[in-house]
Amino acid sequence: MEKIMDITNELRQQSRRNFFTSASSGLGGLALASLLHDDGVVHGAEANPLTPKFGHFAPKAKRCIFVFLAGAPSHVDLYDPKPVLQQRHGQGLPKELTEKVRFAFIKKESAILMGSDRKFRPHGECGMELSDVLPHIGSCADDIALVRSMHTDAFNHHPAQLMMTTGVPRFGRPSMGSWLTYGLGCETNDLPAYVVLSAGRGSSGGVSNWTSGFLPSTYEGVVFRGDGEPVLNLNTPNGYSRDMQKDSLGLINSLNRIRLEQQKDTEIASRINSYELAFRMQKAAPELIDVSAETQETLELYGVGRKEPEKTNFRGGGANVYGQFSRNCLLARRLLERGVRFVTLMHASWDHHSNLSEEISYNAGMLDQPVAGLLKDLKRRGMLDDTLVICAGEFGRTPLGENRGGNKQNTGRDHHPYAYSLWMAGGGIQGGQVVGKTDEIGWAPVEDAVHVNDFHATTLKLFGFDHHRLVHEFKGLNVRLTDQGGKVVEKLIA
Amino acid sequence: MKRLILLVSSCFLISISVPVWGQEKETPLEQGQKIDFAKSIQPILRASCYSCHGSDAQEGGLRLDNRARAFSGGDNGKAIIAGDIKAGLLLTLIKGIDKDLGRMPPEGEGTPLTEDQIALIENWIAQGAEWPDSADIAVTSDHWSFQPLSRPVLPEVKQKDWIRNPIDQFVLARLESEGISPSKRASRSTLIRRVYLDLLGLLPSAEEVEQYLNDQRIDAYQQMVNRALKSSHYGERWGRHWLDLARYADSDGYEKDRARPHAWRYRDWVINSLNEDLPFDQFTVAQIAGDMLPESTVSQRVASGFHRNTLHNTEGGTDQEEDRVKKTVDRTNTYGAIWLGLTVGCAQCHSHKYDPISHREYYQLYSFFNSMNEQDVAAPTAAEAATYDEQLTAYTAKHEKLIKTRKQYEAEKLPDALSKWLEVDANLVYQWRPLTNAMMTGRHPATFKQLDDGSVLVEGENIRSDVYTVTSTANSLSGIRLEVLPDDSLPKKGPGRAENGNFVLTNVQVLVRQSGTNGEFTPVHIGRAMADFSQNNWEVTKAINENQDDGWAVSPEIGKRHVAVFQLDDVISFEAGVEFQVVLHQKYETGATHNIGRFRLTTTDFDGVLALEGTPGNVVEAIAADSRSEEQTKVLLAYYKNIDESYKQLVQAEKEHESQSPKMPGTKAQSVVELENPRQANIHLRGNFLTKGEAVATQGLDVLPSVPAESDQLTRLDLANWTVSKENPLTARVTVNRVWQRYFGRGIVETSDDFGIQGSEPTHPGLLDWLATEFREQGWSLKELHRLILNSAVYQQQSAHRPELAEIDPDNELLARQYRSRVEAEIIRDLALNASGLLAERVGGPSVRPPQPSEYSALTYANSAKWQTSEGENRYRRGLYTFFQRTSPYPMLMTFDAPDSNTCIARRSRSNTPLQALTIWNDVVFTECAQYLGRRVVDEVKGSGKAEEDIKQRVNHAFLTCLSRRPTRPEMAAVTSFYKSQMARMVEDEQAARDVLGGVPIPEEAKLAETASWVAVARVLLNTDEFITKE
Repeated sequence: MEKIMDITNELRQQSRRNFFTSASSGLGGLALASLLHDDGVVHGAEANPLTPKFGHFAPKAKRCIFVFLAGAPSHVDLYDPKPVLQQRHGQGLPKELTEKVRFAFIKKESAILMGSDRKFRPHGECGMELSDVLPHIGSCADDIALVRSMHTDAFNHHPAQLMMTTGVPRFGRPSMGSWLTYGLGCETNDLPAYVVLSAGRGSSGGVSNWTSGFLPSTYEGVVFRGDGEPVLNLNTPNGYSRDMQKDSLGLINSLNRIRLEQQKDTEIASRINSYELAFRMQKAAPELIDVSAETQETLELYGVGRKEPEKTNFRGGGANVYGQFSRNCLLARRLLERGVRFVTLMHASWDHHSNLSEEISYNAGMLDQPVAGLLKDLKRRGMLDDTLVICAGEFGRTPLGENRGGNKQNTGRDHHPYAYSLWMAGGGIQGGQVVGKTDEIGWAPVEDAVHVNDFHATTLKLFGFDHHRLVHEFKGLNVRLTDQGGKVVEKLIA
Repeated sequence: MKRLILLVSSCFLISISVPVWGQEKETPLEQGQKIDFAKSIQPILRASCYSCHGSDAQEGGLRLDNRARAFSGGDNGKAIIAGDIKAGLLLTLIKGIDKDLGRMPPEGEGTPLTEDQIALIENWIAQGAEWPDSADIAVTSDHWSFQPLSRPVLPEVKQKDWIRNPIDQFVLARLESEGISPSKRASRSTLIRRVYLDLLGLLPSAEEVEQYLNDQRIDAYQQMVNRALKSSHYGERWGRHWLDLARYADSDGYEKDRARPHAWRYRDWVINSLNEDLPFDQFTVAQIAGDMLPESTVSQRVASGFHRNTLHNTEGGTDQEEDRVKKTVDRTNTYGAIWLGLTVGCAQCHSHKYDPISHREYYQLYSFFNSMNEQDVAAPTAAEAATYDEQLTAYTAKHEKLIKTRKQYEAEKLPDALSKWLEVDANLVYQWRPLTNAMMTGRHPATFKQLDDGSVLVEGENIRSDVYTVTSTANSLSGIRLEVLPDDSLPKKGPGRAENGNFVLTNVQVLVRQSGTNGEFTPVHIGRAMADFSQNNWEVTKAINENQDDGWAVSPEIGKRHVAVFQLDDVISFEAGVEFQVVLHQKYETGATHNIGRFRLTTTDFDGVLALEGTPGNVVEAIAADSRSEEQTKVLLAYYKNIDESYKQLVQAEKEHESQSPKMPGTKAQSVVELENPRQANIHLRGNFLTKGEAVATQGLDVLPSVPAESDQLTRLDLANWTVSKENPLTARVTVNRVWQRYFGRGIVETSDDFGIQGSEPTHPGLLDWLATEFREQGWSLKELHRLILNSAVYQQQSAHRPELAEIDPDNELLARQYRSRVEAEIIRDLALNASGLLAERVGGPSVRPPQPSEYSALTYANSAKWQTSEGENRYRRGLYTFFQRTSPYPMLMTFDAPDSNTCIARRSRSNTPLQALTIWNDVVFTECAQYLGRRVVDEVKGSGKAEEDIKQRVNHAFLTCLSRRPTRPEMAAVTSFYKSQMARMVEDEQAARDVLGGVPIPEEAKLAETASWVAVARVLLNTDEFITKE
């Protein structure tokens, strides 16, 4: 088991030194200066840490929406059709495959292959084959690059989620969204650079999936609520006008700056930034979530207001999960429009150890229309060209049925880090293609294997970074998102 | 001689540069020749196996350099079984005879064994695998934290005048070696606030600050520290740190997340124990095994509730054993984290990747925790116990008096009364008489078949809710007896007709009229009912109560005779005799057709207390006897006790008094008890509880000194005692390090939760060991440890960052300054309540529910956790008393990084986000605090009539209250200007001023606008970085 312990805090304390020794300028004007030096280390000595910056070369993507399907969806039921697996349904697995692997819950001795209940059909001009539960996403096939040859190092959810979001299967590292906002700043003064919206039950990784790790907490994902106040306590108490709140902010910051000068603790500078952002969020956030100006057609495109399924007591289910996720997709677009750099749309859980057929239909039903709606909406607004949309889980699921003790039948699949699928669209991605291939049962990549860190390297490149050179000095080392390796998958890039 | 064959793939070993022993040794093996382990076997193992199965690594949990470990085997089972060359994995693997398992050493990892070598090992095993002591290598580790703890020598330093106590010597020596000078001593204002925040989590009052600033005594600081250490808020502050480790919460977690009404008793125990400075060794033993201590006290059993803080799954379909195993795993891991500072949980699925903890050892440790059952115990608080004792004493005194009176009557009066009773011959004896001329009716189409023994068997269709009416005559009537009888024709032999053999007699009625008349039957009252057996919740008295829906039933005593007696209030008699009806209602609607299948009615006119079987035979005999034996007299007396009115009154009085006995306070605590027969622990292969591997013994970790047993079986109590023994090198180190971390932001070992190989090295190893030994020498007193640290010069340094050290010591590892940090979530709440004067200072008690955003708790499963906001002072209690609902924790706490309480947390994260800003700025609790703080400033500094002077005084007072210091000149200017601008706004907009003030009363002689403006100032002060920071 990996060491799982929260050390983010202490780590965080240490790294502030590279940043703004004085934040007295607060969030000043948006100077469009590149603050990235040749060595790639950000030296934002006097500036707002979120001032927009450029990477090492011209970016293709400027914003990102990361749809994270925590719990790990089954690639062989959604993205990777395997006729041979269907044929061999019920048969044992060749020894050479199981010998060196471990399973969380499967008993090796009696493991048998399990075909998919899903039907696959080709979509778009490219003829990308997708599962029958993803018809809407299918209609966007020509914009999508589907990677069928992903693989990861971690075997359990939490480490694998960290692997996916932070590049290493351990606590304490900055998430991809934090790295990008660290490298690029953001185009908004009024909202956090990095926002997280969640539907369904929480993920096992929780906040560690959007942590800033050893980077300052300015770069941490800020969780917005989908309903009611987008963040709690957004409204100023009775009696305080906006002007009075501004007065209040003025004195809070003055006193904090005086203290900062004496104590020279950059945490005070972060506090100043937090208050300034909080103040502006009070105005911007209610506008953000007020979707009354959206047309009925747009709302329907995302499925906002659609009927919830009758049965909702699934692993990824709940009272209003369809509605919530649809709304989150719409809010993601609205956030990007307002200059937010990175939006994570969390949904959990896809951990279908049993009752997979019914469970995945429910989850796919939740996912399909809103995400396709998001792609279409971005496209018609001209935003898809420079908005990268990623849809991924932390690993795949076994082509084997899960014969966990107590289950009479194989109705689910176990964890499978050796192969899985994800897709990307927009933001410089060459759509309408499938990258990589797994063997005939979907066990392991046989062509163009893409490691999680390769995916990271590619993503950074789309945003204009050489992944070797987007670094942060930590404990005497230049640490990066792709510390454990990673090479750009050029095929993916248009 | 066999030919040497090079194996295709090879062995346990790694280093290819090591010459293969077999190549030098080619002596043929003679039958019967005794193989010397040290000479012939160990060299092979050393060359080919130890690098993966020795002291540095134990792949697959197997270790071949240590005899005990080699024989106990690895994660996959036994490696060597003496005398048996068929079983045991060692031979199987070095020979590579099982294709699935492969061959050892693996290809690329080492040189294969020769056939000769294999033959040697095989023969050695066949000969009994003798492994002499002299060739045994102990399981040890040279990792620093596993080494015995000894008192280090204090290092020499140059700047001797800086030293306040030995702590400083260690820190200064290191600083001097780096050429760094320590920071200056912090100001008194900073110091008193720092000490209060660190020790109590509360602010020093303005008066306390003034007093300390003006204290001229040379030991003013020590006095201040001593005062603070006596405060009972210390237990709250440090108790909360402990609760982080103990993963305390007020609900079960998981989907249902049920409330734990008794959880707080454990929290109270922690707080009280710390306040009393219960030595840490006892504090430890009580929590690990308080329930097992000889004659354990309530307090110790409450302490063992430590183990009850695990999550608990009550979700439908939960496998109880799985949940129990999960809890046991959590208990094992939590023990490892808190007391050993080790991530033992990493060995739950396979041997630890880094630390010398094998998969097997994990389950050996697990075994200590594998035999407890959960139990809630009565656990009155001290105050409750005192009240109860008092009441009980009074009650007992009175009750004893009553008993004495009864006994006196029994001895002095009862025999005479009995004699008198015996002189009257009527009504002494009675029998249940069979019915005469009985007529039975039921609802069609049930039929009644009269049997020879006077009973009736009901036949025909078993319809719903039948009513049987029996009509008969008697001379007079005082009671009826109903026997329900088994019969082979009935389902499950009856006596009922329901499928399960049961019946429900919902109501019994008796009606009477004078024989020979045609008048109406008149109901008579049944005053008493009794039966030989009644089903739980279906007592026979329910057949004579008003309620028609309940009644008498007899499951699970099916297929047997049962008897019920129904006694009338009076003896009924008419001149011409009594004609009576007994009506048996069976209106059990919800079930099937629960009618009686076979029964017999008998009657009596006995004018006394009726019994099931009439006057007992031995009583009849005793009455009839000419001369009674002693035994017979006894029998009669016992029987007569139920008849003698005076005696019965005395008994009744006793019963009534008993019903008023003081109730044990309902306060309970979660606790555990050890099973009498311990559960056998097994290795769980890959951590899966369903795939049980080998059985393991209860045992500590091999790398640490062994746990001695009190009896033949090692127990949890043995482990607890060992944990705080001198032999254990970890607990004292881990504990002082955690305390240090709370004061300096980071531990001497930064990874305070990992003292293993992957953890960080201590920055000041000498200091760590010195503190650890000092801690033990001071009798494990935590308060003395605090005193020691607080009185060090290191602690009293300024906390301002030093730019000149930014490069050399960015993380302040060398401690050239104090540590400046935002306080924890609960403390932020406490400080705001404290500054405003709202804080309810009561220590301990059940959890409370302060206001929170209303829509928030809707997040829980099916809205299960309703948040009923507390009233009165419970709105204003310290943060640690806030009810912790695991699935929807109090949002303010989570915003400020309170742990989720699901696992042991030694170090909290500390974020800085706009959501935090919004919380202190706008949250209802902080808004109220600002209102009261504003009012307080106005109220406590009365207006002098000189406006400017008043503002100055009030700003001073506000700063002193919130920040324990006076404002600097720029601060004064900024606040004054802000105040004036707010005044202008408030004067202009009276409604706004009213709203800002909320419901808070304006102090005497003060004005609305001015008070509201001070509220606005107060709100700013609560929002400054400094307010929520320990400097």
